[in-house]
Amino acid sequence: MSSTTVESTPSPRGADTRAQLSGSGSSSGPGPSFPRVLNSEFIKFRTLLSTLILLGSTVVVMVGFGALSAWGTGQFSEAAAQDPEAGARFAAQGGDLAVGVPTSGIAFAQLILGSLGVLLMSSEFTTGMARSTFAAVPKRIPAFAAKLVVVVLTSFVITAASTVVAGFVSVPILDNYGLGLDLGSSQSVKLLVVNSLYVAAVAAIGMALGTLIRNSAGGIMSLVGLFFVAPIAFQLIPGDFFVEARKYLPGNTVDPLTAVEHVPDTLEAWQAGLVLGAWVVVPVLLAAILLKKRDV
Amino acid sequence: MIEARGLTKVYGDKTAVAGVNFTVEAGRVTGFLGPNGAGKSTTMRMIMGLDRPTSGSVTVNGSPLTGHTAPLRDVGALLDAKAVHTSRSAYNHLLAMAATHSIPKKRVHEVIEMTGLAEVARKKVGGFSLGMGQRLGIAAALLGNPQTVILDEPVNGLDPEGVVWVRNLVKYLASEGRTVFLSSHLMSEMAVTADHLIVIGRGKIIADAPIQEIITGKGQGRTRVRTDQPDRLMQLLAGTGVSVEVQERELLEVSGLEPRQIATAALENHVMIYELTPLQASLEEAYMELTKDEVEYHSLITTGAVPVEAGGN
Repeated sequence: MSSTTVESTPSPRGADTRAQLSGSGSSSGPGPSFPRVLNSEFIKFRTLLSTLILLGSTVVVMVGFGALSAWGTGQFSEAAAQDPEAGARFAAQGGDLAVGVPTSGIAFAQLILGSLGVLLMSSEFTTGMARSTFAAVPKRIPAFAAKLVVVVLTSFVITAASTVVAGFVSVPILDNYGLGLDLGSSQSVKLLVVNSLYVAAVAAIGMALGTLIRNSAGGIMSLVGLFFVAPIAFQLIPGDFFVEARKYLPGNTVDPLTAVEHVPDTLEAWQAGLVLGAWVVVPVLLAAILLKKRDV
Repeated sequence: MIEARGLTKVYGDKTAVAGVNFTVEAGRVTGFLGPNGAGKSTTMRMIMGLDRPTSGSVTVNGSPLTGHTAPLRDVGALLDAKAVHTSRSAYNHLLAMAATHSIPKKRVHEVIEMTGLAEVARKKVGGFSLGMGQRLGIAAALLGNPQTVILDEPVNGLDPEGVVWVRNLVKYLASEGRTVFLSSHLMSEMAVTADHLIVIGRGKIIADAPIQEIITGKGQGRTRVRTDQPDRLMQLLAGTGVSVEVQERELLEVSGLEPRQIATAALENHVMIYELTPLQASLEEAYMELTKDEVEYHSLITTGAVPVEAGGN
């Protein structure tokens, strides 16, 4: 550092490097408009190695599970061809198992990208970065909204992209077993879009939790509790209430949304969409209101 | 210009800032001095809109920070050396901050050069020393070329060369007509840096005056007196507003009286005085004097001198 001492000492000579100020402190340039804050949040997003690692892991996990699932489905279909009992089960699964192969890793994608959503906001508070962020954007909500856009967009794009890659990897494997998978079929496209939207929704919920709890471990635990523990707990607790309530957990909205035909005792697709929407909107609004009100 | 009016912040049952009023004028370095826990950082966070005042208000150039259209171009602040994501590089941190106000990359490089961070700019902030963290904080504060600069304990952790650099920097910024508000718990630092001083203790403003006035004002009337009849002289000098400290057997320190008055009293009563020295308090002493009742955490070790109150209180 000492070698830069000379340059770092301010002197009248250094004045020419500074823009002249106009008048008595009124703003002399553009302020934090939403596109600028969004750009800033994208820079923050891509300049963290941990973020890139989580995104990379999502792709690896989705493609890996797709390939594994393609192989498993192939094995299952071979067994079904030889064993009438397995054949009956195979038929009972709705016939076309292959179509679900590219999105078979979605449970893990939602965990990783949901955690990413938590971390992007909780780390602002745990590192003290929030003071810089909200000093630059004192209205706070634009920064929150920009981060939300970044989280939701990247989660959607990464999930969709890894589903496509998983699909391309799965097709030749399934071919080996004589199973056809048309990635362009309407059901394939529907699965891709719905699952990507779903993961984006989970990431938004994660970000809301990170904003509310302001602690990485606490936020991720809450997320895991909501998506992994609650469904199991609701199944174990006896009583009609929990059977009914279980349908309204956010993690149980994907199946109704992607079902080819409505399965009895599950939500209708439009109901599931509304439930998932509520699971996103309520925590996000609550997080935004409290972020605005609380001290940083 | 920063203006606080009835500014109050209460955390639970603890009042951090208790209805303070002050004005930080442009064109001079205003020091914000107070012991640890006095409310300096809380006040600065409220200026930056990070903490919401419980009551009262604080404005920069007439409006609260939330009302500014380009806050980073109006006010730059170093509130905490590590208000940065530890896994991001200094350069990327500044780049992201600059992006919120479309501040060009050129300016990012400028502040990096200005603060002497060029060599470490691409390294993760997590590995920075406290001194480098301070430099990055100052770089971030200067990014928008703001009219108002707020620095909370900027010399903390800096090496001696860095301390001198900060002193020159803040004086230079003030000489350009900017508002410079600088906190410290070190009076010695303020004595060489600030033009004007606001002293805070336990959330209240204790003094708000030019630094010269604080040095001379509070120490005024202190006189060192040597006499062979200290007890007699103490009785003679006793009166309202007068306090006498026994420093040694024949050495007294009198405050509240002019040397001439002491000499007159001694002469009229035939008490011999063999030293009469007017004392000018150092800022340090003035500060201790100001804050002695306002310190949050007293240390238990005290000096040997036992003050003797010889007055009408």
